[in-house]
Amino acid sequence: MSTPSIDIPSETAVRRIVPAINGLWVLLGLIAIMALLPMVASPYALMLMLPFIGYSIALLGFNLLFGTTGLLSFGHALFLGVGAYTAAALTSKFGILSFELLLITAALVSGLVSLVIGVLCVRYTRIFFGMLTLAFGMLFHSFLFKFYGITGGDQGMRVLRPLLLGMEWRGGKTAFLTGPFYYYALILFALLGLAMWRITQSPFGLHLRAIRENDGKAAYVGVQIFRMRLIAFVISAVYGGIGGTILAVTTGLADPELAYWTHSGNLVFMAVLGGSGTFAGPAIGALVFVLLQDFVMSVTQYWRFVMGSVLVLLVVFMPQGLSGTVEALINRRKGGQ
Amino acid sequence: MTELVDVVLGGTFHAAVLFLVAAGLQLVFGVQKIVNLACGSFYALGAYFGITAVGIAIKLGMPPVLFLPVLILAGLAIGIVGLPIERVLRTIYRRDESYQLLLTFGFLLMFQDVFRFLWGATPRTMDNVYMAYGTANFLGVRVPTYNLLVIAASLAIAVGLGLFLERTKTGRIVRATAENRDMAEGLGVNASKIFALVFTVGCMLGTVGGALVVPSGAASLDMAVELVVESFAVVVIGGLGSMRGALVGALVVGLMRAAAISLVPEMEMLSVYLVVVLVLIVRPAGLFGKATA
Amino acid sequence: MQPAPLSSTAPMFETINVTKAFGAFKALSDVSFSVSDGEFVSIVGPNGAGKTTLVNVVTGLLRPTVGEVRFMGQDIAGIGPVELARRGMSRAFQLVNIFPALTVRETLAVAVASRLRRVGNPFRSLKRDGVLQADVERVAEVLGLRARLETVAATLSQGEKKLLDIASAFALNPSVILLDEPTSGVSSGDKHAIMGVLVTAAKAAGVRAIVQVEHDMDLVERYSHRIVALQEGAVLADMPPDAFFKDPAMISAVVGTRPQTLRKTH
Repeated sequence: MSTPSIDIPSETAVRRIVPAINGLWVLLGLIAIMALLPMVASPYALMLMLPFIGYSIALLGFNLLFGTTGLLSFGHALFLGVGAYTAAALTSKFGILSFELLLITAALVSGLVSLVIGVLCVRYTRIFFGMLTLAFGMLFHSFLFKFYGITGGDQGMRVLRPLLLGMEWRGGKTAFLTGPFYYYALILFALLGLAMWRITQSPFGLHLRAIRENDGKAAYVGVQIFRMRLIAFVISAVYGGIGGTILAVTTGLADPELAYWTHSGNLVFMAVLGGSGTFAGPAIGALVFVLLQDFVMSVTQYWRFVMGSVLVLLVVFMPQGLSGTVEALINRRKGGQ
Repeated sequence: MTELVDVVLGGTFHAAVLFLVAAGLQLVFGVQKIVNLACGSFYALGAYFGITAVGIAIKLGMPPVLFLPVLILAGLAIGIVGLPIERVLRTIYRRDESYQLLLTFGFLLMFQDVFRFLWGATPRTMDNVYMAYGTANFLGVRVPTYNLLVIAASLAIAVGLGLFLERTKTGRIVRATAENRDMAEGLGVNASKIFALVFTVGCMLGTVGGALVVPSGAASLDMAVELVVESFAVVVIGGLGSMRGALVGALVVGLMRAAAISLVPEMEMLSVYLVVVLVLIVRPAGLFGKATA
Repeated sequence: MQPAPLSSTAPMFETINVTKAFGAFKALSDVSFSVSDGEFVSIVGPNGAGKTTLVNVVTGLLRPTVGEVRFMGQDIAGIGPVELARRGMSRAFQLVNIFPALTVRETLAVAVASRLRRVGNPFRSLKRDGVLQADVERVAEVLGLRARLETVAATLSQGEKKLLDIASAFALNPSVILLDEPTSGVSSGDKHAIMGVLVTAAKAAGVRAIVQVEHDMDLVERYSHRIVALQEGAVLADMPPDAFFKDPAMISAVVGTRPQTLRKTH
């Protein structure tokens, strides 16, 4: 049975261009390059890459919220803090040194905290969501700062060197961090990246995108908006907690500044810089951020001014970020959207 | 009794300042549909610049009684910084909301280092202003006259703003542009100029607020973000888009904060954030206006 | 040409003495009507008559102040769109309502994934879900969108966007579908084409009843089994088209002019 023609076929109809290299491969490629880095780079450069890994993992979660679901959180560093302080408490207060246990506990604690916070925040969108997450982030920061009996106040809490797969490293700190810990973190990053890819490519991920595109309509096609947003929030928090644990082990310290609003700002900046519309974008943003920050701080202490102005410029001129711009250029050659 | 009056007066004083900032936010939101996260930066800017201005006034040998007007003028003067910022914001007016959030957040970050650069990282205080105005007798309790003056000034500004919007020709044009920008433009209104005006006025309300509040506390790097969260609480209670709501919201937040401080002084910062959370649990839709859900 | 209604007994859905008040204003007053298996019912009335409010009440978005709304015998007052879809009633919108950045395939997949309850496991693959994709393609085929499956929704033509909206309502496999001015914003030549596609598709998809809110009296006259006319929140008439269009008072109350087809004899 032939269907009658509806109207003049649209001249603007555009097929979605499927990228030649999908986001996961870009990410894994990046990780592969990182894995080869120790052969050519100095220990200093490798030490710089560790926060990159921590941030990138946290950003995988952040972008599930922002890029995929459309929720912009200004308090995501809260979970970095939760992860860090969990690691600190376990190693220095309870003598638990197994890194695997640190990771699992950080994930669980972040998950629980995010469940409670999420129930309150996820009912709202956009401005209200952003402000609420900002408020919770600062609430946590205040708590870390004030209750020095528990948290060590502005001194922070020490994070002792953990055991990787049960094995103890008896050498120096730098050798540990740029050696076995570096590779461990990279592998962890790859695995978590794979998991996040699966999540974004699933029907669940599709529902999240539907919520981002049109939350009014989404409900009418059966999307349980509140529940989906909450789950995304919790997943993003778990990734944040794990990222925070890695950061904490790298610096050996969990301190309140991890949860300060400007630190959440760092995450936002990295995502926008790299491009929140692509899978590997935020990780690229993290890499550029880490290198840029290192460079700028050697020149001036007013790093936040630079970051703020770059963010302003990005939003005005290049909101799709580095990866988005590259993707658009490639697509233009192919002729489509 | 003394404590109660102290709390109420302190709370109302803080509410008066908050109201100015919230009124600025409401104005900008009403006309341009923009929520300006950098409002906190304007507030802090007003505070820091106020300190500098009073410092200059002291050096010039001005009588202390003029400090209040100096502060107000300082606030108004530095508010001019709103003009270039609005110029940048103009590029994203018609785009998705997250652009505004990101852009104004970028400004918030930039200002943070501007403050550090110009005024340093340690909080700055202004000691002699309270002494200049002395105390008055209010319901049998001695209260700082300064607080009463600020409350009066804030009310005067609020009334002035209301009259401007209701009675003057420009005020009516502003309201028309708020209702329907395209229509207003079709009738010959230069919307860009109106937007620039409104944004700058909103900015000035913030800077004046900061300048007025600084004698009672300190200008610190944390001021900006604290205010963002506080004004958010005001907006949540009062709803976005209602001046009356801003008034009520400011009172609630101001009084709750004063109460929290008098009960548990270390909780000052925490109390603000807790208030926000509590308000949202209890009153998600606000009392007036609709929450942007 | 009107499709013959199947025999029916119990109504699929009904409103019983529904009144909806917003403060002092009564948007709906004592509205009762039902829709049975196989029927195509059109709700008509001038602007402000309460049609949209009625639709919102009937689709569980608003609770009636007084009265009941029942679907398949069960009370559905205020159950919300997600639960309603689960029970078998879905809705398409008056203004174009799409997911701009999603392709046609993805848009339909959202609905099918809800229906097939595929969102429990965040790690399962969307692309490799054969059953899901087959359903998506089936719905697209039936609504004439097959060629557009990989097209980004924001770049579709106006008529196609409308079809997509209707298609996503179909993808939920509803037993009753509610269309809010399905042909609004579409040029008149296309209106009949869309209606034709719709009715054929409904039959093919197993939809058992259609309710539409519509202003175009030609379409109403041609496709409906029954017309429910609203005026100022109350039911003015509930009758088949022949009876309705024979009464000039009725027509002017609702429309103001006589439809062109009245010149034809049935």
